[in-house]
Amino acid sequence: MKTVFIDCSPKMRLSASGFIMRLTGLFVFGKKKKEKLRTPADHDRVLSEIADAETVVFSMPLYVDGVPSHLLPFLKKMELSCLERNKDLNVYVIANNGFIEGKQNEPLMQIMENFCDRSGIKWCGGLGIGGGVMMNVMRILLIVFLGIALMRTLLSGINEGIIFPSWPWIVYGKQILEVLALGCGIITFDIWLAICINRKKEYGKHYTRIMLPSFIFILCADIFFTIISVFQGGVFRGWFSKKKPTVL
Amino acid sequence: MKVLIHDRDLTFSDHEKEKYDRVIYADGRYAPCQGCFKCWTKTPATCVLKDSLQEMCRILGQAEDLVIVTENWYGGYSPAVKNLLDRSIGMSTPMSTYRGRQMHHTLRYKINNSVRVYVTGDVSDKEKETWKLLVERNAINWGASDYEVCFLDLQRDEEGADL
Repeated sequence: MKTVFIDCSPKMRLSASGFIMRLTGLFVFGKKKKEKLRTPADHDRVLSEIADAETVVFSMPLYVDGVPSHLLPFLKKMELSCLERNKDLNVYVIANNGFIEGKQNEPLMQIMENFCDRSGIKWCGGLGIGGGVMMNVMRILLIVFLGIALMRTLLSGINEGIIFPSWPWIVYGKQILEVLALGCGIITFDIWLAICINRKKEYGKHYTRIMLPSFIFILCADIFFTIISVFQGGVFRGWFSKKKPTVL
Repeated sequence: MKVLIHDRDLTFSDHEKEKYDRVIYADGRYAPCQGCFKCWTKTPATCVLKDSLQEMCRILGQAEDLVIVTENWYGGYSPAVKNLLDRSIGMSTPMSTYRGRQMHHTLRYKINNSVRVYVTGDVSDKEKETWKLLVERNAINWGASDYEVCFLDLQRDEEGADL
């Protein structure tokens, strides 16, 4: 069984879609191929990988309530290719959005289901994730925290002569547990999706989210964007101003 | 301001230009959104990609009546129109709020507008249902008080329906 995972995020690196896709891939058995789809130059390569695959997993961000525009021409090519070859293929979708509610991915799911209908391939369902970007930020933070734990261990060794102090690693363990607690919905639904992929079963449509009350998530998102906007200078360039078009 | 976005051709633009303040032909000759959010965090209401869509969010944000004519692609917008919409998220701000009991971004322009979408091409019944949901969701995101989706056969009537 060959499964092709397609990361459809336009981002070059550190995409939430890519991370969630790789997380799902950990629990999928058999031959696996991970592909990045950003530009038309990727189309033929990805299509050739799909040619001998039994399952395709699309992982993508929600853009303006739908599929990112750069993916649509690829879907059209894939539709024609599948119809031409009378291709037997199982399709699963992982969609994530910056809002907290996973349910906001529903139009995207329907668009992908309609794509499968037109292509004569099997729609096996999808997982819609709310706040997936936070999971992505947290895994980056975990790497930073690992560095801090290593640094503390080293400093403890130099200053106090303790070769392996336990406390930095207890702190790091707590941080890992916090991330797992916040992401438990995503991880559980992800494993369930992987089980369905392994068994070639229909998954249906399921929606999950980061395990935070929405008002706390909104507060975190606002703080995150404020900090980024201060560093990138947006707050000093008419952050909320009603700018008029300069080009007529 | 009354704005028309369409993916037909320049002849269609000429045909419709008297009825609108802005007619935008989505010709697809621009780059797709890179998901960098710099139109929120670095150069507000300006896309960092320097092409014809760089200030598109300013036009869409100030549209009291937004009319979109698009070919059906699986129950969603055509790539050229979707690209234009993806590149226009700067019409909102990075700050979040609740609308329709769900999380959404606050609006930069806060114009009580209407959205009408005319869909052309072959549309299945299932895709029609997707369209209705999609336009409803778009209207909530764009803060539109009124929205409508219509299915047209412009292939049959090249002069265009009364939009």
